[in-house]
Amino acid sequence: MLKAASTFETTAAEALERALDRRRRALAICAAEPEAAFENVWHTLLLLELPPLERLNRSLQRGRAVSLQR
Amino acid sequence: MDAPSLFSDKELAFLAALVEGEVSFLVVGLAAAALQGAPAVTQDVDLWFRDLADPRLAGALQRIGASYIPPTHSTPPLLAGAGTDLFDIVMHMHGLETFDQEVRRATLVQVGGINVPVLPLERIIASKRATGRPKDLSILPALEDALRARAADKRD
Repeated sequence: MLKAASTFETTAAEALERALDRRRRALAICAAEPEAAFENVWHTLLLLELPPLERLNRSLQRGRAVSLQR
Repeated sequence: MDAPSLFSDKELAFLAALVEGEVSFLVVGLAAAALQGAPAVTQDVDLWFRDLADPRLAGALQRIGASYIPPTHSTPPLLAGAGTDLFDIVMHMHGLETFDQEVRRATLVQVGGINVPVLPLERIIASKRATGRPKDLSILPALEDALRARAADKRD
């Protein structure tokens, strides 16, 4: 139980650290490229952390969800 | 809980059959953009083939128990069978050069352990811009920002 809680905290802390680093990089890109939208840059950097197959699956899952909403 | 994968082993088997069968093709469109990290949403995976009459394509399809349905005056070419449902065949790419010229620029993306030739993000942007269709133009800012992010990320 304690081990699980500890693992969760480590994972959450690592995720937060990665997100803060990603935000720093996204802000730097947007500062250098004023035409860029932060959200697009942020999501691209996030997707680049994933394997290509997972990027594709996320795109297809969202495409399917959008299609079902119509 | 994670959503089930839409692009799963059957689709990977189709890509593997194309690559191992030395079929000349490119993944294009928004699926290609997504593979390269663009925050793009799509419902299918567009494939551009050098030659739809290439016997190697028929062989790859046969290998996975699928078929090619040639175009008619009112329907595009289609694929049928296991692992092909998510794929569409593209006959022409707006704003690009010939297949042979574009395939030389292809970037190889490892998809589930298979090195798949993919149209580079810059060329996807060129194609979307060339169509002039509102739905293609609307995705351009996201694709261009993805290109900027990729370039900056590589410089880091």
